[in-house]
Amino acid sequence: MVNFTIDQLRAIMDDQAQIRNMSVIAHVDHGKSTLTDSLVAAAGIIATAKAGDQRFTDTRQDEQDRCITIKSTSISLYYEKENATKYLINLIDSPGHVDFSSEVTAALRVTDGALVVIDCVEGVCVQTETVLRQALQERIVPVLMINKLDRAILELQLQQEDAYNTFSKAIESANVIISTYKDPVMADMMVYPNKGTVCFGSGLHGWAFTLTRFAAIYSKKFGTSEDKLMQKLWGDNYFDGKKWTSRNDDNKLKRGFCQFILDPIYKMFNAIMNDKFEDMDKMMAAMDIKLSPEERSGLKQKKLLKAVMQKFLPAAEALLEMIVLHLPSPKKAQSYRYETLYNGPIDDIFAQGVKNCDPKAALLLYVSKMVPTNDKGRFYAFGRVFSGVVRTGQKVRIMGPRYEPGKKDDLTIKNVQRTVIMMGRYTEAVDDVPCGNVVGLVGIDQYLVKSGTLTDEEAKDCCPLKDMKYSVSPVVRVAVEPKNAGDLPKLVEGLKRLAKSDPLVLITTEESGEHIVAGAGELHLEICLKDLQEDFTGIELKISDPVVSFRETITNNVETLAMSKSPNKHNRLYMTAEPIQEELVLEIENGKVTPKDEAKARGKYLSEEYGWDVDQARKIWTFGPDTQGPNVVVDATKAVQYLNEIKDSVVAAFQWATKEGVLCDENMRGIRYNVMDVVLHTDAIHRGGGQIIPTARRCFYAAQLMNEPKLQEPIFLVEIQAPEDVLGGIYSVMNKRRGVMIASDQRPGTPLYNVKCHLPVNESFGFTADLRSNTGGKAFPQCVFDHWATMNGSALEKGKQNELVLATRKRKGLKVDIPSLDEYLDKL
Amino acid sequence: MLYIIGLGLGDEKDITLRGLEAVKSCDALFLEAYTSILPGISRIKLGEFYGKEIIEADRGLVETKAEELILERAKKETVGFLVVGDPFGRATTHSDIVVRARHMNINVEVIHNASIMNAIGVCGLQLYNFGMTVSIVFFTETWRPDSFYEKIEKNRKAGFHTLCLLDIKVKEPTMRAMMKGVEEYHPPRFMSVNTCIEQLLEVEENKKQNVYNGSTLCVGLARVGTSTQKIVSGTMKELLDVDFGEPLHSFIICSDEIHEMEKEYLEFYKVE
Repeated sequence: MVNFTIDQLRAIMDDQAQIRNMSVIAHVDHGKSTLTDSLVAAAGIIATAKAGDQRFTDTRQDEQDRCITIKSTSISLYYEKENATKYLINLIDSPGHVDFSSEVTAALRVTDGALVVIDCVEGVCVQTETVLRQALQERIVPVLMINKLDRAILELQLQQEDAYNTFSKAIESANVIISTYKDPVMADMMVYPNKGTVCFGSGLHGWAFTLTRFAAIYSKKFGTSEDKLMQKLWGDNYFDGKKWTSRNDDNKLKRGFCQFILDPIYKMFNAIMNDKFEDMDKMMAAMDIKLSPEERSGLKQKKLLKAVMQKFLPAAEALLEMIVLHLPSPKKAQSYRYETLYNGPIDDIFAQGVKNCDPKAALLLYVSKMVPTNDKGRFYAFGRVFSGVVRTGQKVRIMGPRYEPGKKDDLTIKNVQRTVIMMGRYTEAVDDVPCGNVVGLVGIDQYLVKSGTLTDEEAKDCCPLKDMKYSVSPVVRVAVEPKNAGDLPKLVEGLKRLAKSDPLVLITTEESGEHIVAGAGELHLEICLKDLQEDFTGIELKISDPVVSFRETITNNVETLAMSKSPNKHNRLYMTAEPIQEELVLEIENGKVTPKDEAKARGKYLSEEYGWDVDQARKIWTFGPDTQGPNVVVDATKAVQYLNEIKDSVVAAFQWATKEGVLCDENMRGIRYNVMDVVLHTDAIHRGGGQIIPTARRCFYAAQLMNEPKLQEPIFLVEIQAPEDVLGGIYSVMNKRRGVMIASDQRPGTPLYNVKCHLPVNESFGFTADLRSNTGGKAFPQCVFDHWATMNGSALEKGKQNELVLATRKRKGLKVDIPSLDEYLDKL
Repeated sequence: MLYIIGLGLGDEKDITLRGLEAVKSCDALFLEAYTSILPGISRIKLGEFYGKEIIEADRGLVETKAEELILERAKKETVGFLVVGDPFGRATTHSDIVVRARHMNINVEVIHNASIMNAIGVCGLQLYNFGMTVSIVFFTETWRPDSFYEKIEKNRKAGFHTLCLLDIKVKEPTMRAMMKGVEEYHPPRFMSVNTCIEQLLEVEENKKQNVYNGSTLCVGLARVGTSTQKIVSGTMKELLDVDFGEPLHSFIICSDEIHEMEKEYLEFYKVE
């Protein structure tokens, strides 16, 4: 039975100190959803006995079938402790597969803390690292759960000291990542078992503990305070029977953690798994664990173990304590998150409203994702109230990601039809939701594509909250069309819904009229297409083979001058093009060097770090495509009259040209254009956009063609964990697919190898299945986009690269051949 | 043979006698239709008057296809290129076509006519007293070229009037059209005297060099050379609210050192 009412839930939403908003994040299969069950069970939503098996937050049928989380799911949990303190935990369970990283991003944005779950056997994996980094960037406080201790004990039969080392190594790896994100505003975010920010246990069996728990048990016995004892229960601390010491020269002593924590757990495991019921009963009596008669007589082995351990060390209790004590309340979190969230002046009333988490301030609500409702094609807008209160029926200003203060683009004013609390598999309607909480909104889904900011109708000066930045890119694409041409309108409508339902998926239409669906990887695409077919269109679809997006770059560093004349022949533009160093390209892509930087400071940085000419480095006209991509156009002219009057036209042309490069209309990447000289008509009317824009575009293309244009292809970082005997199978699959091995390490204390490779995305289709069949199903890869690699050979002459260019052109319905240089280059 | 024939400012009857003879001798006629328009007359009506079919030459044709469509023909036949006003009166746009024709060894003959550049004399200001001509283009959100300001400043310092030619966008390609090479145009737009004054004052407001201001004497002209021509003189502020009607409009910023005769003449057109 659910042991709370909606009224209780709504009442505590006003009590900010008692609220925790948190995400559960981890690598795939490290046990997030399973662990979450314990918390859901403790709130009475599912039975304790079922916790660990049900994966309540995996709400979709395919999630249950595949045993994998696909969508992040929010649930509000209410707890009342024995001493009558009440807590509200708004928990979001997120997917662990890299392909669904964008769901994690959307979850992190609306929460303040993260429970990072690590499989103690596998340790910190690629996705653990990715999600942890994302959390830290958003100023989300982490706590750790070392999970699957049952595996370490039963499966790997690790000795206690080895187990300690394994746990310790996992914690250390997590802290290495955390320490690279030193943020002066934040306190130390590293996690320590002896501070209670690390929990150990087994989500599957529903048990977990922090050192606090054992310190409490032993504190009386030792006559030491719990705090002091906690320090002794981790690290190199040994009890020699009389006193604590840090020396263990002859290795005779057991460390505190093993002697006082692992030992009783191991003994209990041993007794139950070997059916030594007498020993078990004795221990249970000593620890005051009582089983029901049915449990005592009806259960054996693992089921009995689960029942006992759930009572001995209930997971929910340990987790809740850690969450409540060590994760911040919304008020506390917003006091330091507001400046990274708000996109306007941080001293205006809206920023201050967020800072103080003020229910009386204007509404500021960030919608981070759309959640499908039972009503097909409609969505809940799911988000977090950062200030003010959102009410049923309230008129709100909806600012989409393209909205700019003072303008009208991407802005709508509409009523919120209903406000609901998300409860995993169902929702509960409430009249209003105050700041510091997450909320689902009904009736505004048509006005936002994926995300956006809501404020009061009259708050015209309010700036939107920053839009989310995803760690993965939609690099794998397919074209879709209906089997029956008459169904095209249904497809178009379905694609719109698909775009809403997934934070990352990208829907585009090619010049040729092809509809393209782009996702982070094969699995992501598979799920999107399944949703599109089954839920959003209900029609049969024809799906093309996957294709990848490319980037167009140049490799020639020798200065060659391109010149193009305007249609009226009275204006001439002279440009050169050169490659930008990869390091700088990455800095632009990661937002370290941005168009918003102050020009002088950026100029200094570029000249010092990358050897740019200081004068030119200050005169970057724009970045592109979309004004922030990794290509720039630089004014390298000397004393040219009227130059500022054509800048706008050149910038406009640059945005288009960098979006659709000359080779095959793919984005440009890493090209720096220099405007060397211009000849302009004396009168403004003869050098307007109509004259300059097409000329600049032709000049950009001419310069690209003259400087050894090349394609860049996306490369996956593949991480595979597999036993030694199948490594050969992995190598042979990688070889076939142009893969490059970069590391292969054995995980200490385990027979498993950790293999890392680079694999071209273009070669990755069917890779997972191929790998499985070549390793007898023992190797599971995680592929995440890693970098762009310039392809070997020439794009213009016959060869693999040229074939790709031509195939892309054909698919997009462009002219068959790459345009020749004389289409763009003019002669004097 | 290529004739470049000025059509004058009014209607089909403004063509010169020599121009008409040339038209009659032509095997093909092109009407340049993007730097100016003949008020109140269409290409079809003009064709009926000449008894010949006239091909409309828009910007795309003149700027990018002139060689194949016009000049190649002129090598073998007699081709007429009709231009509103005078072939070289207003725009420098046509000098390019002459250059290219000469390169191709085609005989070129230019037949002149009235142009706004001389017809503005109608307001009484003497052509001798004009300085550099400037164009005022439509400001967009991001493109607000104001280099005319310095030219007006030079003119006024030297005691010259400034003729402002106002932007006309007959067949302006859209951004997509320019990038993708598809046919797509913005609807036609013609700048009014009122918009011109607003933009001039905005630039003065920004630059604050006091080159001119709301009480500077100016002349607004509309449809010069036609039966409905309208000329009004007054300060910039006064002219801001005057309705000049249909296009095309022109504008003159008078010098402060205006001659007595000019002053007297302008009185006829004084704003009510």
